[in-house]
Amino acid sequence: MATPTTTATLDLAARFPGAVSADARPGYKGWIVEKDKLIEVATAIRDEFGYDHLTAVTGVDYLPEGKMEVVYHAFKTTGGPVLTFKVQVPRVDPVEVPSVTSIWPGAEFQEREAWDLLGVKFTNHPDLRRILLWEGFEGHPLRKDWKEAFYEEDAKPFKSRWPEGKHVMAEEKNPFKDNINFPKDFDPEQWVPEGEAALYGALARYQVQEGSLKTDHIVINMGPQHPSTHGVFRAAVTVDGETVVSLKPVMGYLHRNHDKIGERNTFLQNMPFTDRLDYFNSMSNNFGYAVAVEKLMNIQVAERAEYIRVIMAELSRIQNHLVFIGMLGNDLGMMYTPALYAFEERELILDIFEAVSGSRMMCNYYRFGGVVRDLPEGVLEKIKGLVFERLPVKADELDRMLTENEVFVARMKGVKVIDAENAIRYSITGPVLRAAGVPYDIRRADPYSIYDRFDFDIPTRPNGDLMDNYLLRLDEIRQSLRILQQAVKQIPEGPVMTGKPQYQVRVPAGESYGRVESPKGELAFYVVSNGKPNPFRYHVRPPSFVNITALEKMCVGTKIADFIAILGVIDIVLGELDR
Amino acid sequence: MDWTIWVEWLIKSLFVVFALLTGFAYLTLYERRALAKIQVRIGPNRAGWQGLLQPVADAVKLIFKEELTPAKADKLVFFWAPIITMVPSIVIAAVIPFGPTTTLFGRTIVFSVANINVGVLFLMAVASIAVYGIVLAGWSSNNKYAMLGGLRSSAQMISYELSLGLGFVTAILLGNSMNLHDIVDAQRNVWFAVVQPVGALIFMIVTLAEVNRAPFDMPEAEQELTAGYHSEYSGMKFALFFMAEYQKMIAISMIAATLFFGGYREFWFLKDTFLSVDAIWNIGPWQFQAWFLGPIYMLLKVVVLLFFMIWIRATWPRIRYDRLMSFGWKVLLPLSLAVVFISAVGVLVAQQFDNNWYLAIIPIFSSVAGLVAVGFVDQALRRKSYASH
Repeated sequence: MATPTTTATLDLAARFPGAVSADARPGYKGWIVEKDKLIEVATAIRDEFGYDHLTAVTGVDYLPEGKMEVVYHAFKTTGGPVLTFKVQVPRVDPVEVPSVTSIWPGAEFQEREAWDLLGVKFTNHPDLRRILLWEGFEGHPLRKDWKEAFYEEDAKPFKSRWPEGKHVMAEEKNPFKDNINFPKDFDPEQWVPEGEAALYGALARYQVQEGSLKTDHIVINMGPQHPSTHGVFRAAVTVDGETVVSLKPVMGYLHRNHDKIGERNTFLQNMPFTDRLDYFNSMSNNFGYAVAVEKLMNIQVAERAEYIRVIMAELSRIQNHLVFIGMLGNDLGMMYTPALYAFEERELILDIFEAVSGSRMMCNYYRFGGVVRDLPEGVLEKIKGLVFERLPVKADELDRMLTENEVFVARMKGVKVIDAENAIRYSITGPVLRAAGVPYDIRRADPYSIYDRFDFDIPTRPNGDLMDNYLLRLDEIRQSLRILQQAVKQIPEGPVMTGKPQYQVRVPAGESYGRVESPKGELAFYVVSNGKPNPFRYHVRPPSFVNITALEKMCVGTKIADFIAILGVIDIVLGELDR
Repeated sequence: MDWTIWVEWLIKSLFVVFALLTGFAYLTLYERRALAKIQVRIGPNRAGWQGLLQPVADAVKLIFKEELTPAKADKLVFFWAPIITMVPSIVIAAVIPFGPTTTLFGRTIVFSVANINVGVLFLMAVASIAVYGIVLAGWSSNNKYAMLGGLRSSAQMISYELSLGLGFVTAILLGNSMNLHDIVDAQRNVWFAVVQPVGALIFMIVTLAEVNRAPFDMPEAEQELTAGYHSEYSGMKFALFFMAEYQKMIAISMIAATLFFGGYREFWFLKDTFLSVDAIWNIGPWQFQAWFLGPIYMLLKVVVLLFFMIWIRATWPRIRYDRLMSFGWKVLLPLSLAVVFISAVGVLVAQQFDNNWYLAIIPIFSSVAGLVAVGFVDQALRRKSYASH
């Protein structure tokens, strides 16, 4: 059963009369803050009410109302439900909202994203540039009046493809392939990227005079094609010899505007689309989206389906951490040995995914109110064999193989990733936060589904170095096994879906913020419905993207080799980082 | 000088070059199969029986690949760098003895291409040249990764060559000669690896750094510098670097075998049996020395030493660059100095009292020195791990 996230009982309106009012729209919760008072209110929210963790910042373009809304979701790291507060500004350019990066530095990238996709200008933001799209992009695509090239309709299914199924390829409509709009006075031939100029053109400012010795720093582009950036991630690293002096993450090479496509899709069409976010954990992605939409629909999930969901999500966590540990060894230069040992076990878990959903990685298994089909015969026995016999032994084997390897330990110990205080300030979630010593896990802090029925610990580690991050993943594998062992014993018989399966779901108007503890951190979906078959706004809060905000802070002063390891430890996946 | 000496040189050189070139080819296969076994995979087994034709297939592929030269590279240096790397890796094998001195066809044959009295010095000199190729390749590519790789390489080689040189000195002291044949002969009764275990261990660690193998493969460091100094190389130019690396592995294993593991000489338990390289075989009317066992023993030792290199590559992560430097300068160099000193004292004491049992001083004291060094490393690591509290 999805536990609804209720708004905290604190009364912001009473604390700030005139500046804050409750959001009275049907289906909406939270507080609407006056734009001018935002900084004051936000400071109070953090300092007086203790909401130290601002997890999500995003915007919604209410074109019919002529309003642009910026939505903030804040949490307490000690646990508890969400505090939603919003700022509404008239939809007239420039749309300006004060930046909250001075209060929660973790908002930096998310505010840049909101500027990039929605055109909300955050005043006093330290570095307000486009983040996912390139600088020559015309317009802000998530605005409702922005139309993509070869625009057909606002919502799927498009009439041209239904009911006859005629489909005209976009390329055929434009034989000259000339569909790119540029901003006014923009010449792509003459264009020098703003950010790049700062990175390359101004090398002179990195010159250092040490006594009589004049030395240069060099800028290295790690990525987008690089063996250890886990995809097309790019970091422009300024190095002094081997030491990282400054670092700017550059992303968006895999950007496809997931959010906009999600708005065109129907609610159910988005389910397989979430698989493509974090392609290692399609089960967790499905879970997050299902939780968000079920909250809006206000439906119960079938009892057996809840268990199946938990089993799949935890198996997914185990295989993600296995890949993590293996690939971490690879990042440190271990020549694939731990990776292959880990992949051997992962394949067995993927076998189970294939058996239940028909696909090893793009599972598309969850549905609103349950899962798409019951476990096939024999799968439960397979899972039992894995979680009771094979995986605990293999986890110990990996532990012995790596934790007792002196060179591995020498590389990992004492290399600080981030400390607890900064981790919270930078909105970091998931294993990186817990390895810094903050016992914050959504499965406990704000339980969803049936996690409150299981007996398990939230492992933490005190130091926040690379070694702790690695050990924490092992701990989590063991805890997930504990959950699985209880779940496979308790799983009841019964239907796996409430109601009958349907292609089109009716979602009442309103907003919902559904979040799950994905293996990489907090994966949240912010869905706004206006009662139509398609979501009015569909926003993904991916853990990789937000965790990367603090990358520069983590890496400055370390060595290049450590930068690679730290990037590996954050466990980014470009599918969800770039969306 | 009669003409037969030319024939002899020619045959010996051809043998060495052939051994290194095919050795390189099959070392790649050996490494890939061994790595695969360690990593629960199968490895290349399609081309030929058990993948024996794989090196041929690789060679054909590399020959037909396009060779790119970056537009802003220094063309001349870019062209010469792989050759400068490649040549020393073959030349270095010239002084390594692979069989006992014997009489064949009425001639005294010495089984090394060049039997020079300062063979050890020759090894050191040639081993240092290869680094130029790497540095020049890194610099001429006009690529930052390559340049960083080249820089790392030069710093690493300089740091580790000191300890390598002191390793040579240990063998010279114990063998009482700089001629490699004499050093091998001095190990007739006991390997230097037994007399000086710490020295042998240091030597093997340092050789890993010298040939840029994991865990000291800084110049390449795939995960950090993509491919390091050979990022911009492709086709046969890349193959030359690849070849040089593997030939250096073979050569350095041969050197290690020669200096510390009895070279071409038989294993200690085969001494004075018919399997000794000094044994005289009588088959029918012929009577001859079993010199041909020399290359076989050498091969066996090299294969085992190479396996250690592969094993280490499969199981250990790369050491971070600053740690590598401090390990070289702060641990290995003092320890090798101590080892040389202890060896010298041991040899001197044994000479003074004219009793070789006094050589037992060497392993005892150097083991103590080695343990002290290990203790220091352990302490340093411990300090680092709790610094964050």
